[in-house]
Amino acid sequence: MVALLEPAVPLAGPAEAVARPVALQWAVRFGTGLGRALAIVVPVGLVSTFVTFALGSFSNSNPAAAVLGDLATPADIARMNHQFGLDQPLLVQYWQWITAALHGDLGTSWFTTIPVADSIKQTLPVDLSLTALAMLIALLLGGAAGIAAALRPGSRFDRAVTALCAIASTVPAFVIGIGLIIVFSVLLPVLPSGGYVPFTENPVQWLRFLILPALALSLDLTADIARQLRNSLVGTLRENFVTGAEVRGLSRRRVVFRHALRNAAGPTLTVLGVRVPQLIGGAVITETLFNLPGMSKLTLDAAAQQDIPVIQGTLLVAITIVLLANVLVNGMLVRLRPQARRRSG
Amino acid sequence: MTALRRALQLRSARISLGLLVLVLLVGIFGGWLAPQDPLAQNTAAILQGPGSGQWLGTDYLGRDVLSRLIDGTGRSVFGALEAVGVAMLLGIPAGLASVVFGRVFEWVTLRFVDSLMTLPFIIFAVAVAGILGNGPNQAMLTIGVLLSALFYRITRAATLGLTSAQYVEMAELLGASKNWVIRVHVWNKVLPTIAVTTANCLAAALLAVSSLTFLGIGVQPPVSTWGGMLASDLNFLSQRPWAPVIPSLMIILTVAACNALADAIRDTTGVSPTARTGITGPAAGAGSAQGIGPAQGIGPAQAGPAQGASAR
Repeated sequence: MVALLEPAVPLAGPAEAVARPVALQWAVRFGTGLGRALAIVVPVGLVSTFVTFALGSFSNSNPAAAVLGDLATPADIARMNHQFGLDQPLLVQYWQWITAALHGDLGTSWFTTIPVADSIKQTLPVDLSLTALAMLIALLLGGAAGIAAALRPGSRFDRAVTALCAIASTVPAFVIGIGLIIVFSVLLPVLPSGGYVPFTENPVQWLRFLILPALALSLDLTADIARQLRNSLVGTLRENFVTGAEVRGLSRRRVVFRHALRNAAGPTLTVLGVRVPQLIGGAVITETLFNLPGMSKLTLDAAAQQDIPVIQGTLLVAITIVLLANVLVNGMLVRLRPQARRRSG
Repeated sequence: MTALRRALQLRSARISLGLLVLVLLVGIFGGWLAPQDPLAQNTAAILQGPGSGQWLGTDYLGRDVLSRLIDGTGRSVFGALEAVGVAMLLGIPAGLASVVFGRVFEWVTLRFVDSLMTLPFIIFAVAVAGILGNGPNQAMLTIGVLLSALFYRITRAATLGLTSAQYVEMAELLGASKNWVIRVHVWNKVLPTIAVTTANCLAAALLAVSSLTFLGIGVQPPVSTWGGMLASDLNFLSQRPWAPVIPSLMIILTVAACNALADAIRDTTGVSPTARTGITGPAAGAGSAQGIGPAQGIGPAQAGPAQGASAR
């Protein structure tokens, strides 16, 4: 839409003649946008995965000694080290690890000898269910509260939302989780306090198990989304184009949802992108609290045993999710805000 | 320190600071203040309600809850202080340097800080504790390193806004050295911003420390921490459903006091990075709960000229 208004597009001509340059421009813009995103994401990914990998070499635990026990001779340990590839330079080891990881091979656990990728494949759906549900709740609740508050700034509802957001941002997720367990599992036993059933087995049970943890995890993000959306929407509703749309007789609903919200959603989306690492970190605690068999249990168990391949594998997956979410949010921002598209073009 | 003095004219700041000083004193003198031995078990009186002898009752091993709460204060608070201290030492000089030392240093540190921010705090701290050993310092230093990204960005954003100010350009034209400009013109103006960040980070670090101790990271079992008490109370909810209330309140009040202090400094000095650069970044509200990087640290820095497409 906006691209048509730009002078680079031929002003008159048959529809196809206009369409091709626009499509081409789109492709070029998308390409440069993606290129820019990759220029940032790739170094970030390399550094953070290298930090993850290098941690292992700071460890004082030797897998060979740990696996073989007290009876191991130095020759045994050397053979084992060679087998794990630990006798090679760090950068070579990192390169082997990351290329193998790109092919879906994250090594095997030092203790159970189960491939790390298999353990992660088993536990990841729990985390994805939990965080996706939490994000959905946050978007719905926070979005609704933010929009409603912005439509009547200064009203009692608006002040109530602001106050609730301030409270929600000081209460840690696990305290909220404990509160939810006390209310809904102990005092009024209506929901289970822990456990998990896959969605494919029983969607109703899945929801019953996940609703409390997802609520506990989402609250913080809900408050953030409500606060951010309220502020930017109040600002947008004061702008000239909104007044213009109203003067032209467009309905209030159309003005708010089609015109203002699209412009106000940008900062909120940025908040969402920034919050993904925290959501994943928060999931660790929520999962422990509600006894969910997710990746955090895998990480915690591995941490207790110093099972380094498992720890590195789970961290790698967490980093990948964060980076993917960032690229996604960037893409959506470009799609959402015409100015962002213009700048990258 | 004028920033703090000005902030103390607000009642909320005085109350918060009073509360924080109280918590700090309890933290330092906890061992002497506890009415009973926080580790002494009494199997004859387990899971008691509040009453004679024990003000807050006893836990599942018959240990006095009040004593454990007082004893655990120090471990919880000093852990957070350690993390924030490390974050300041690493983040602030790097943030200042990124503005001064030219493009290459800037690009490298920015990417490094971006990388730190993609690491999910809690998982990374768990991983570090798992790899390097489960001591209190490993976990706190990790949190400190990750939080330093925030100090870096805040310092950088505030400094960027200042170095383009006319009087700084003037000083440079008159031949002032970079060091001199930073010491005289930049540092004093950046200080209130850093004070706000420090208070917010303290809140975030407290939450992170209680989360980690809740998971059993950074503590060895018999000793008490606020998070650890919550974790053990969780198994006996049907007997003592109100038990998590007190440790939760301690965490919430301390965190809220830090955030209120940050807000008070921000309101009274008016020198927030957003106000300086005239760019409205996202969420200039109180520190965030999972803590882990209040959003306001990120908005203004994103507006810095050297970063285009980053979502952060």
